Parts: sequence; C-alpha cells; structure tokens
Amino acid sequence: MLKAKGEKMNLLKDNKFLFLFAIFLMFAAAIVYWSAYSGIIEIFSIIIFGAFSLLWKEKHIKIAGLAFLVLLSFVNIGANGLKFGIDFKGGTRIPVMLDQPVDDATMTKMVSIIKERAGAFGLSEVKVRAVGNNQINVEIPTSDEQRIKTIEDLLSHKGVYWGVVDGKVAISGEHIFSKSIGPMDQQSLLRSGADWGVSFMVDREGAETFAKAAKGKADYPVYMFLDRPIDADLFYTRKELRSAMLNDSGEKETLAALRSALKLDEGRTINVYILDDVFSNSSEGNITALGPRTNNTLALISKNASAEYKTKLQELGYVVKEFDDKTIKPEFMRTQTGVLLVEKLEAVGLLSSPILNVGLTNGIPVYNFAITGSVGDVPSAQKTIVAKEKMQYMESILKGGSLPVGITLGSRTTVPAALGEEFLNLSLISIAVSLLIISLAVGIRYQNIRATLPIIVISLSEFVILISILGSFTIDLAAIAGILAAIGVGIDAQIVITDELLKKDERDVEEKSNVAFQIIKTNVIVATLSMLPLLFSKIISGVVVVEIIGFAISTILGSLLGYLLSRPAYASIVEYILNIEEKEKAVKH
Amino acid sequence: MNFPNIYNIKDYRLLAVVPLALLAIAVMFIPNIKLGVEFSGGTLISLDLEEKIADVSQLKTALEADGLKADLKLYDTTAGQRLEIELPQSNDLIAAEKLRAEFDSLLPRVSTLEVEAQQNESKKSEYKAEYEKAESMVKEMYAIAGLKYEKQENASVNQLDKNIRSAYKEVYAKYEKSIITPIDKNIKYKNISIKTVSPLLSASFIETALKVALVSAILSSLFVFLSFRTFIPSIAVITGAFCDIIIALGAMGFFGIPLTLASFAALLMIVGFSLDTDILLTSRMIKQKGDPREKAYDSMKTGLTMSIMAIISFGTLFALASITHISTYYEISSVALAGLVGDMFATWGINAVILLWYVEGKR
Repeated sequence: MLKAKGEKMNLLKDNKFLFLFAIFLMFAAAIVYWSAYSGIIEIFSIIIFGAFSLLWKEKHIKIAGLAFLVLLSFVNIGANGLKFGIDFKGGTRIPVMLDQPVDDATMTKMVSIIKERAGAFGLSEVKVRAVGNNQINVEIPTSDEQRIKTIEDLLSHKGVYWGVVDGKVAISGEHIFSKSIGPMDQQSLLRSGADWGVSFMVDREGAETFAKAAKGKADYPVYMFLDRPIDADLFYTRKELRSAMLNDSGEKETLAALRSALKLDEGRTINVYILDDVFSNSSEGNITALGPRTNNTLALISKNASAEYKTKLQELGYVVKEFDDKTIKPEFMRTQTGVLLVEKLEAVGLLSSPILNVGLTNGIPVYNFAITGSVGDVPSAQKTIVAKEKMQYMESILKGGSLPVGITLGSRTTVPAALGEEFLNLSLISIAVSLLIISLAVGIRYQNIRATLPIIVISLSEFVILISILGSFTIDLAAIAGILAAIGVGIDAQIVITDELLKKDERDVEEKSNVAFQIIKTNVIVATLSMLPLLFSKIISGVVVVEIIGFAISTILGSLLGYLLSRPAYASIVEYILNIEEKEKAVKH
Repeated sequence: MNFPNIYNIKDYRLLAVVPLALLAIAVMFIPNIKLGVEFSGGTLISLDLEEKIADVSQLKTALEADGLKADLKLYDTTAGQRLEIELPQSNDLIAAEKLRAEFDSLLPRVSTLEVEAQQNESKKSEYKAEYEKAESMVKEMYAIAGLKYEKQENASVNQLDKNIRSAYKEVYAKYEKSIITPIDKNIKYKNISIKTVSPLLSASFIETALKVALVSAILSSLFVFLSFRTFIPSIAVITGAFCDIIIALGAMGFFGIPLTLASFAALLMIVGFSLDTDILLTSRMIKQKGDPREKAYDSMKTGLTMSIMAIISFGTLFALASITHISTYYEISSVALAGLVGDMFATWGINAVILLWYVEGKR
C-alpha cells in the first residue's frame, strides 16, 4: 500500500538505504557477538539510526530507519532472549540489611562480595542490587526452600580469622577491635620503609595470647587464615606439586614448607599427601598411615585429579571436596634469610604470611599491631594503586568476613513461578487491549480508518523495541508500566502530528510538519528532563531507587525513540496516506 | 466531532472558576495523603491465602486479641485471595537503631582508651567512664530485646560490641516473631512476604525523593523559560503544571492512594504529561498567527484527544491492577489518571485563561 512496485526496485539502488542496511548488519552482528552488552548497543543504535533519520529528509529513509530498528530488536530477542525479574519469572528476593549506611565505594564492594558469595553456589542468575545506602537486595530465580536456605547461610556467613605462629593460634579475629583496623598513618609508614601498612589493636586477652605464642619466634611467619578447615587433609599429585614449586627448591623442601604452614595444635593439623605415593602399588604400607579422623574429615583435592583417586579416598571414608587449580595451588616465596614459605593457599584459607618482627617476640603483651609489606616489582606509576589493593586485602582478612560492614538478613519474598507467569500474560494482554481501544478511539476521532492503522503499527514497533532493550537488562513491574506510559506518550505525539497535518489552511505539508515537530521536540525534552533526575538519583543523593528505575528508563527511552525515529516515520506514513487520498479525490472529481 | 468553543464566552476568566475550586478542594485533601511503607518506614506483609477469609473484621479482632494491631486489606486475585497487613514503624526498632548508631560512634574512642589504659595508669579513669557509658547502652539494648543483662567482669569493649550486636538482632527477631505468631495462629496461607523498611532506609528514600523532585522541577522550569523566553507565558506553563500536581496530590489524599516510590515516579511523569499540553497550547498561542480564541479552542481539541488517549492507556493499567492487585500498577495508574484529569482542568481552565489575557492584553 505504501510503496508501489517500482519504488521497491529502486531501494536496491538507493545508496542511503543501502548504507542504513549496512549499519543494520553491523549492529546485528554486534548484538549477537557482544550479547552481554546488547541492551547498550541497541540504545546506541537508536541514536545512530535517529541521527540519519533527522539528517536525511526522504520519507522512505525515515520509515526504513524505524523498520531496521524493529528488525534489530527481533535479532536481539531471538539471539539473547528476554530477562524477566522475579515478579514475572517467579523467584525469591532476600533483603540484606547493612548495620550502618555506607558510602558509594563501600557499597560497590559489598555488592560484589555478596555476588561472589552467592555465585560460589553456582547460581549464575543471582541478582544483587543496592537499595538506598543501607540495604542490598539479592534475587534468586528459585522458590525451592532448601536452596534458599543454603544461600541465606552463605550470605550471612562471617569468616573467622586466625593468625597461626608455629602451629599455635596466636591471634584470632574475636580479640581484634574491628573498628581499629585501618591504614597505617603516613608517618609510621615512612619510618618503617614499607609500601603499605595496616594497623589494628587487640584486647587484653588477645595481647596475652599473642605474647605467649610468639615468644622467641623472631622471623617466623604468621600464617593468616580465613575460615581454615579444622578437620581436613590435602592431596596433590606429584605433577601438581612440581608445577607449584619454586625453581630453586626441591620436593622435600616444598613439602616441609607446606607441612609447617599447615600444622596446628589440638589435632587440627592439615596433613599433606602426594597421591602417587599413597596409592602406588609398591608402598602399600602408606595407606594404613592415612585415613580420616572422623566421619566428616575433608579430602581437599583438585578438580582435575583423576576420578580413581577420588573414589579411593571416598572408600577410605573421606568427604571429598574439590577445588579448581588456582585455588588449590600453593604459592611459595623465599624470605630474606632464605627460608621457603607458603605465601598463599586459598583452598585451606591461607591468604598471607607476613614475618614476625623481633620486637614482638619478647613475651611482653602488645596491643598495637601493624602489618606492612612492599608492592614488589611494579612500575612506579602503579605503585600507589597496587599498595592500596594489598592494604585493603589485608584489612578484609583481618575483618574476617571480607565484608566491610556487618549484615542482617531480612525476611524474604517469594513469587511462585505460576503466579509470575500469569502476571506477565495479563500485563501483555492489557497492553494489547489498550492499543485496541486507542485505535478505536482514534478511528472515531478522525472518522478515518486510514489514520488508525499507522498509529497501531508505530505503537507496536515501539513496544517491540522497548521490550527488547529492557529485556536485555531486566523487565520488572515498573518497566512494564513504563512501556505502557511510553506508548501513551507516543500516541499523544502522533495526535499532535495528525491534527497539524489535517489542518485545512494555506501552509504546505512540510511547514505543518515542522510546526508539529517543534512542539514534539519541546515535549520530549521536558518529559526527559522531568524523569532524568530519577535515573540519576545516584548522583543527586547517592541512592539508587531500584524499585522504579525500570519505569524511568522506559519512559525516557520511549521519548528518545519517539523523537528520533518513530514520530518522523509516522509523519512520513501519514504524508503518504494524505497524498493517496488527494489522488483519490482527484480521480473522483 | 465538534463541541462549541468555550473560549467564545464573554468573560473567559470565568473558566478559571472550576479549576480554582478544584485546586482549593485538592489543597484540603493533601494532608490526608498516606505515606507508603517505603517513606513512612514500617512493615508490609502480603499473604497468599490458602483458605478464603469470610469476615475481615472478625480476623482483625482475632489478630488484635493476639497483640497484632494492624490495617487489613483483602483482595480477590486470579490466584486466590490475598491479604495485606500494614504495620506502623515499631518504636522498639527505632530506639534500637538509634542506640546502635550511638554505640558505633562511641566504639572507636573506647577501644583506643582500652588499649591506652593497659599501658598507662592515668588513662584508667577516663576509660572507665567511657566504658560505663558504652555498657549502659548495651544494657538498654538488652532491655529493648527483652533479654536479661548479666554483667561480665573484665569484659572487653570487643565483647560489649558483640553483645550489643546480638541483642540488636534479637530486637529484630522479636519484632518479626510478634508479627508472625499471631498470623500463623489465625491465618492459613501459601506464601508470605514481609517487607520491613527501617527508619534509616525510609529517611534515605525521603531525602532522595525530595532532591529528585527539586532537581526535576528546576530543570523543567529552566527549560520552559529558555524555550519561550517571555515571562508571562513561561509562568503560565509552569503554573499549569504546578496546579496539575496539586490536583493529583489532592486526589491521592481523597482516594487513599499512598505516596510510594511508584506513585512518586508517576507524579514526575505527570509533570511531563502536563507540560506537554501546556506547551502545545502556548506554542500555538504565541508562535502562530490567527484569532487567539480560535487557536486556544483548536489546541484544546488536540489536547483533549491526547489526554483521552493517555487516559485509555492508564485506564487499562488500572483495570489490570484491579485484577492482579499489583500495587506498583495500581499506584502508577491511579496517580497518572488523577493527574491527567487534573491536567484537563489546569491547562484549559488556568493556563489558557492566563495566556488569553496576556495575548489579548498585548493587542
């Protein structure tokens, strides 16, 4: 109806059209390739297509721009699917209350730590978002009681810090004044000659325990553990161990270093075994030497170790716990005096091993401690950054949960999947119903069925584009309400255009449409300006209002899309129709 | 479709009477606006019921007998009945939160003193005084939690910190229990969701909303002034939008639509909607040639069509909200509807009248 056959042929020779088509292909490829950023890419494509639609006056180009964007939305939906919030998909929301309001940087850190914790359970679809400056919402797409409980436990877990000197717990987290943990002051840092330092204070019991444990242990390392397993043994294949060894050390020295790092009194030592030896046929005798102490003794082993070893350990009565290579691989270092030390072994919670200063080993209780370190060989430009990272890492170990602020779990909300699905269906039906009633109303108002068809086509296009973009992030209740509002605003603008174009006066079509677009431009800017502060509430008051951010995004995107693409396209369609009608009239006369 | 040009009556200023009256009524109802749980703080419990409740007032009495005094709202949804219970902020929680904040600010000083007192006799008395202050806070927290405080000899500040934290958690647990126990006893439900907004969080929401509203108002007004560059028409546009917001707020008070984050967002959107029609009218009146009354009438025809279409959009959302009882939908749609209706009066009764007076006066 809109294009005669002859015109269609010409499109293939139309450079502008071909150019738009090329851009479309580019964006489509980008959306498929960088699927994680598809939403952002599509927003960007609105701006690019919009710019060309404003630049080039040809009617068919304006329509083509919108059509390509609709196609792009289908590509996005087809390739990446739509993401729905728990309101529509069903799931559970657990509010995590922080003990006190925190600043931006801390909040970002908290969110990423909580994400990591929930992710450790293998749930990739966990959503973690800050609410205000003292709450974090965790959303999981399940309503299974058991899984929710596990996640709640993971979230509320607070790590236990132990500093072990020569097989004795010299210092534990409960005796450290958590508020006193902080960066060392600049002067002391300069005096010590280190690159970074963390200072903290301990209470009397802590000071006395430490004095006793550290007496006479100058130059010993303090092995710093977070959540060290109390009943576990560690297993390596010879190959694994070899790959972790320093160049200048042998197997014997390496094993000795591991054993001294993992020994602990009261039967809590973590024994280290080499699987090849333990289960080799020649040394049967070794098997009797090893064995779980209780029903719960863990066998810590690499994921990549052979299944045979794992079965054998289970047969012996161990509970096998697997780790990826990075976590179970020990990191070694040599002290200035040439002693080989384990610096890090995440699988057992060993995170650092600073050396004891002579001053602390005379048996007199000390209340103020400092841990210092150097950054090693890094370019001087990065020195401060690396130093800061190392310092924060040490702080988080001492604080024992790596969470900078204490948390309390609030009570959870569960939306059953069936209910969510019904909400979604009803929402989609109501959008369809509203379009239907509007097109009827428009038909009655203009007494012209031709005026209603374009309005429906344009509104449907807007709906597809908005759903596709928001679906790349999350479609929640607020987003759906926002899309409906955006369509409402869009129809309003189309009415402004129709009214202006249908006016019977001496002005020509172009002049009329200029006037209409002047009004629409002002409207779009005002609508955007009034909603924008909500979107940027973070900058204005440091708080993101997640509950309604979807609403703000969809109304603003709707305005932008409308101004740049769908209104010009609509005007072009209406102009085509008016031309056809005039021709029809001419024929009748 | 034609209706007579209302601006052709002799004294068009009379047209302002209806909107002004509406405005006056609206102002009276604004104090009645209920704050939603996000802004007032408090607890909102939603229950998907397993068994139908025949008599809500009977349930209310039963809950009150078990110590839970609250507002109950019962809905029929497609998935069965849903009950909403709203509770005001608990005084215990407010007190506990305040105590926690005070303790936290005292903590660094007492810990430093504790360490100093170990090494330095002269600091001992100062330490003791501060320690007692901290300990009295712990005692107070225990009292709120309904726990018995037993003095531990030589307990370090670290221990006090631990104690006050666990007592604080107990306050929350006790509060939740005081809600859950009567509910479990009296109601059979499939699903429960408890949304507690702490005083701290609600304060931060209020602050954000106020700032956002302020910035939004400043930005929009600035833009209106920039695009018209004449004083009276700009003021007319802003007055129109302002009156609309007042009418919408009045409707919220009258119909009991709570002010929540969702309805707040809807109010911001109404500013945009309202300015839409105001700008349409003003652009046509001052930038186009012709008889001002005719132009005003023409704009009104376009503007009313716009409003009707928007009313249809939000009307369907409102219908959807009535079926599903999704509060986000209900709050957004009802505020939008109120604002759209208000806008018809504000734009064509107030803004148009000011403009006509301005344009005809200039002649």
